Amino acid sequence: MSARAKGSFLVSVLRNDPLTPSSSILVLDRPEGFPDAQPGQFISVRLTDTLEPLLRRPYSIMDLTADTLSLLVKVIGRGSALLASQKPGASLDVIGPLGGTSFPYPASGKVVFVAGGTGLAPFIFAARSWRSGDARPEIHLLYGAEAKDELFLELIAGEFTGAHLATIDGSEGYCGDVVRLCEKLLAKGELPVDHLYSCGPRGMVRALVRQVGSRFAEHLTSLEAIMACGVGACRGCTVPVWEGERMVNKAVCSDGTVFAANAVAWEEWKE
Amino acid sequence: MTERSSAVRIGPVVFDNPVFLASGPAGYGLEYADLIDLTRLGAVVTKTITLQPRPGNTGRRLWETRGGLLNSVGLENVGAEIFLTEKLPSLIDGDVRLIVSIAAEGWEEFRQLLEMVAARPEIEAVEINLSCPNVERGGMEIGADPGRIEHYVKHAKDVLGERAVLAKLTPNVRDVARLALAAEGAGADGITAINTVVGMEMDAESGRPIFEMVRAGLSGPAILPIALVAVWKISRTVDIPIVGVGGISSIEDATKFFRAGASAIQIGTAIFYDHGLPERIIEAFEHSGIPKPFEKKDG
Ligand SMILES: Cc1cc2nc3c(=O)[nH]c(=O)nc-3n(C[C@H](O)[C@H](O)[C@H](O)COP(=O)(O)OP(=O)(O)OC[C@H]3O[C@@H](n4cnc5c(N)ncnc54)[C@H](O)[C@@H]3O)c2cc1C
Ligand SMILES: Cc1cc2nc3c(=O)[nH]c(=O)nc-3n(C[C@H](O)[C@H](O)[C@H](O)COP(=O)(O)O)c2cc1C
Ligand code: FES
Repeated sequence: MSARAKGSFLVSVLRNDPLTPSSSILVLDRPEGFPDAQPGQFISVRLTDTLEPLLRRPYSIMDLTADTLSLLVKVIGRGSALLASQKPGASLDVIGPLGGTSFPYPASGKVVFVAGGTGLAPFIFAARSWRSGDARPEIHLLYGAEAKDELFLELIAGEFTGAHLATIDGSEGYCGDVVRLCEKLLAKGELPVDHLYSCGPRGMVRALVRQVGSRFAEHLTSLEAIMACGVGACRGCTVPVWEGERMVNKAVCSDGTVFAANAVAWEEWKE
Repeated sequence: MTERSSAVRIGPVVFDNPVFLASGPAGYGLEYADLIDLTRLGAVVTKTITLQPRPGNTGRRLWETRGGLLNSVGLENVGAEIFLTEKLPSLIDGDVRLIVSIAAEGWEEFRQLLEMVAARPEIEAVEINLSCPNVERGGMEIGADPGRIEHYVKHAKDVLGERAVLAKLTPNVRDVARLALAAEGAGADGITAINTVVGMEMDAESGRPIFEMVRAGLSGPAILPIALVAVWKISRTVDIPIVGVGGISSIEDATKFFRAGASAIQIGTAIFYDHGLPERIIEAFEHSGIPKPFEKKDG
């Protein structure tokens, strides 16, 4: 699961494809020497040299081919707005690949992905990279958002063994949250219960742990936190994790992003 | 000994150039080794270590402000033992010049920590982080009290002998120059100024402070003027070298600190968005020389 050395790269934007009213896919030219990466790893992008905003912003690697590096970008504030407005030909300063852990190929060959919002990104990468190998795992995607126009439907087409959608307003798929959907499918015996991999808002993952976590032999989750360095130096992005009886602070950027969901001290992890 | 034109002397120790990494943002340095050639730097000031490991603060730890960064990391560190056995050897073997940052919440802890550090001859310089809350004094920063500073610095000099001792000052006081004078009087070889500026942030919607400890430390471009005036005032008060730190984001920013009276500088927050900056500053100074101070303080 450990990563190869990270580096600092100038990458040019090849395409910026709008996906929904508030999000797009940024396809970047994979720079020479950019190391191979694993699902759950990310890059950190400097958005401007005007110092506003100041910090880099972390983005999951959504796809990495021999020639391209793709990101799924949802606009939620000033930094993401700048990133989403990049035009082809623009050049971005990125560091990566970052993250010391990733989603491993599921040992049993069967896995359930639960994604909320842009938490879909690492799972697109996983589906695409595992498919290129000889063995092809059975992947069941459970994917939720507030409403249909926030689901990245184009992205999931044809990538998974089965895809189950949920929207809070009921405009697409199951009406309700993705955790409920997972409970329902489990009750019907429609999901393999070896590996559960999740990525999404903190509330979603916490509810997953509480409500369905024990049904799976393993639950791994890719976490998000506000970051400054992205490399484990500043200790700004920590999450409390149980190591036996002891609670220790782990850096999401370098000890993660992928953690055993049951080991995270959810009650102590305050925002 | 002939000293290179960009070399800087702090007490008994000569550094090849006057551009250091500040304590904290770069961790123990090793985390940045893939991105920054640590051997090019004048020195790496390592993350402040305390006698015992510290888990740091719970709750949110970072918040970006306009032009700045608030942090509430709370001195999370691996503790002296692990630092000395695991981190220090890799840095020394990698030929990285180090200034080891230390802090203590009380006198006994400080004494023991210094003993451990002094037992390692490969440590040539120490920076005392005086912004640590003093548990014996109800959490007031040790570094807000000139008497305490004198006591701590004098003891460090006694124990460390021929090693350089820098006192790192907090800006959260009325008269930073007075603190510098206390450190100089106690035998400090240099003054580092400044640590983060106290600040806070509110969540407008919920009406709550966003940090559990309420207060946090502000760093980055927003604090440059505060750091600059601290260096200016200190340089007009003491004769020992001053290491300027606070908000440096460009070669021009770095130049201003030397003009204000600094002999060396440290880069902290800027490495988060521009880790190539220290090396660019070093190259610029190698090319054009270290900027001269605005005026001699007695001239
Ligand atoms: C490992 C990781 C992977 C991510 N992958 C994706 C992805 O694939 N697609 C995607 O759209 N988003 C992703 N994000 C979230 C993305 O980084 C944030 O949306 C972005 O940083 C917000 O920046 P902003 O300037 O637009 O928001 P701001 O206006 O600065 O703030 C809005 C909110 O964004 C979050 N935020 C702000 N600064 C940071 C920061 N430095 N690091 C993390 N979060 C921050 C905070 O929760 C804040 O409340 C990921 C985050 C992490 C940690
Ligand atoms: C995340 C973070 C952690 C820090 N940790 C320490 C520390 O452990 N010891 C210390 O003396 N200063 C610490 N500092 C303060 C910096 O060394 C520096 O004095 C301050 O950030 C101002 O410089 P800058 O604006 O270049 O960052 C820290 C700063 C930041 C942003
Ligand atoms: S962002 Fe600095 S330790 Fe994770």
